[in-house]
Amino acid sequence: MGTLTTVAAVSAVAAAAFIAFVPSWTHPPVGGIQIGPSPTSMIEFSRGQMPEPVSQQAPPPLPPAQDNGQAQAYKNVKVLTGVSPAEFIRLQQAITQWVAPRQGCSFCHQGNDYASDANPRKQAARLMLGMVRHINADWATHVQPAGVTCFTCHRGQPVPAETWFPSNPAPINEFVAKQENWREAADTVRKFFPDASWEEYLLEDTPISVQSSTALPSHTVASQIVAKRVYEMMMQMSEGIGVNCGYCHNSRVLQSWAQSTPNRWNGYSGLKLTQDLNRNYLLQLATIIPQNRAIMHETAMPVIPAREQSPQAGNGLVVCATCHYARPEPLGGANMVKDYPGLTGPAAAHGPVAETTTAPQEHQP
Amino acid sequence: MARFHTLYTAVRVEGPLEPGLPMRFSTFPRVLRPFHSPLLGLIGETQIGPTYLGIPGILSLACGFIAIEIIGLNMWASVDWNPIRFIKMLPFLSLDPPPAKYGLSLFPPLAEGGWWLMAGFFLTASILFWWWRMYSRARAIGMGTHIPWAFASAIWLYLVLGFIRPICMGSWSEAVPFGVIAHLNWTATFSMRYGNLYYDPFHMLSLVFLYGSTLLFAMHGGTILAVARFGGERETHEIADRGTAMERSALFWRWNMGFNATFESIHRWIYWFAILTTLTGGIGILITGTLVDNWYLWGVKHGIAPDYPAIPGLPSAPPPGAMKLPSLGAP
Repeated sequence: MGTLTTVAAVSAVAAAAFIAFVPSWTHPPVGGIQIGPSPTSMIEFSRGQMPEPVSQQAPPPLPPAQDNGQAQAYKNVKVLTGVSPAEFIRLQQAITQWVAPRQGCSFCHQGNDYASDANPRKQAARLMLGMVRHINADWATHVQPAGVTCFTCHRGQPVPAETWFPSNPAPINEFVAKQENWREAADTVRKFFPDASWEEYLLEDTPISVQSSTALPSHTVASQIVAKRVYEMMMQMSEGIGVNCGYCHNSRVLQSWAQSTPNRWNGYSGLKLTQDLNRNYLLQLATIIPQNRAIMHETAMPVIPAREQSPQAGNGLVVCATCHYARPEPLGGANMVKDYPGLTGPAAAHGPVAETTTAPQEHQP
Repeated sequence: MARFHTLYTAVRVEGPLEPGLPMRFSTFPRVLRPFHSPLLGLIGETQIGPTYLGIPGILSLACGFIAIEIIGLNMWASVDWNPIRFIKMLPFLSLDPPPAKYGLSLFPPLAEGGWWLMAGFFLTASILFWWWRMYSRARAIGMGTHIPWAFASAIWLYLVLGFIRPICMGSWSEAVPFGVIAHLNWTATFSMRYGNLYYDPFHMLSLVFLYGSTLLFAMHGGTILAVARFGGERETHEIADRGTAMERSALFWRWNMGFNATFESIHRWIYWFAILTTLTGGIGILITGTLVDNWYLWGVKHGIAPDYPAIPGLPSAPPPGAMKLPSLGAP
């Protein structure tokens, strides 16, 4: 009996230690809303008690601008034109709170010369302001009615907590089999997935198709590797917006649009939006702050915990989670744009505009 | 008072070492000097050895060793021979078949599936030699050959997955990679590619036999343990000469569900359920992609899958561009 008791005690301690230390738990009841026909288990689950990496609350708007009759006083303004000086400075203060609350104005501005473009971060901020206007103006299908502000992604940090730093390609060896590019330093299984698919579907405009649309062979079934890549990309989407497959798809026939939910249309426009932003803004951002590229290709850097320790170390590319932070609607759908008219308006003169369909010439230095 | 149990027991039955039957048709002598293992005695016989290798046994071990070496060294090399990363990453490391562009080529580059082909060859040889060994040992001991034929059913599924179906599809890339997570991912992805394997009738049959096997196994194991106090574990004896153990276990099931298997037929039930699991499973895999491309649509065509009403507010057409097909064949 002694052996049995010992085995039982050791097992109980091991089980208790596992429960206490290994996964982060949420506990019942887990709420859910049924969004599809009853037998299909298409349910939008509530989040439960999972830890939140960032604030999920929209900050209150700053007090309205007091027009003190000041004429155009700000020089070298290229994006936020057509905004009153009072509104301009109010928006600058809001941006500081959203993006660099600890670092303050000097994070982007060179000394006291606020017109100077000497600090590359100012050019980055200008590019990003153009991007915000572009999203609000040209991607209404995806972001309306809430719209986006700097806070949608940044949440009070100079680098948004959820970005994607492309992994180094696995070293090529002529003689031994290649491995998947598992991201070994990840802290969750899903972040551990290779990100090769993200490049194909979130940067390049690769068509997504896995299943055949005919019962009998038609030679349209994707290869094993392509199907795996699509799966990995879908998992980043699922985790990024905090939903399971059934939020968009009927899992018995993932391919069928007719059996999907309207959310799938939104998800598709989100993919196109992500491609647009990565190609036309984030790749350019990396050239403005050149050390970012170097940082992105250091193996020590791509993982999130390390980056959080040094938030201003670099930028990455955007994924679904960059705005959504595991919520179907970022910030619960709060409309912050209505309080800041400077964030809407034409972006055309200040950066790339429309969705382009050509792949970037080179995105890997 | 301490009692003898076969699974966990405080009483260890340990007789004199049993050398086995005299050798009759064997090429080699038996190897491994027999000894008693108190530890293994907890779950079975205390006697370990002797065993018989013979030609097929030696060939099987050699081929299996080569296959495992190829797989393991490829995996280890892929983490720069770092032993800690090798252990940490072991579940995720894989040895993949050649990409689609090499078709059924027997000599793709080593780094692109060449090693996979070699490992597959030696593993298959090892399994087939082991089958030969099982068959010849069963014959040598004067038994029937039921066990090798059951093993052959599992080999059938293995060959369909890694050899017969890839040949039918014209590409080794259709085969299963070596690796813990890699082969699980392959399984999930395979089902997704072909429109959900649950609508494949042979997959359905295979599941029936698989779950049926476990149910029958539990029913039979439970029954025999329950009548062990009446000598029920001497099943073969009771097949010919019914005793109270057999009568009670038969009564138990007859009173429970109106029908009972016999001490003899229950073994045929379990044997065929187990064999049919992999036999039907192999057929289900073999016809996927060769005869049927999308099992869900096949199910709709044949009235298996029900219709559901469309979800309110659904747009009438997919977004523009969403139905575009990627160029096939890559990578």
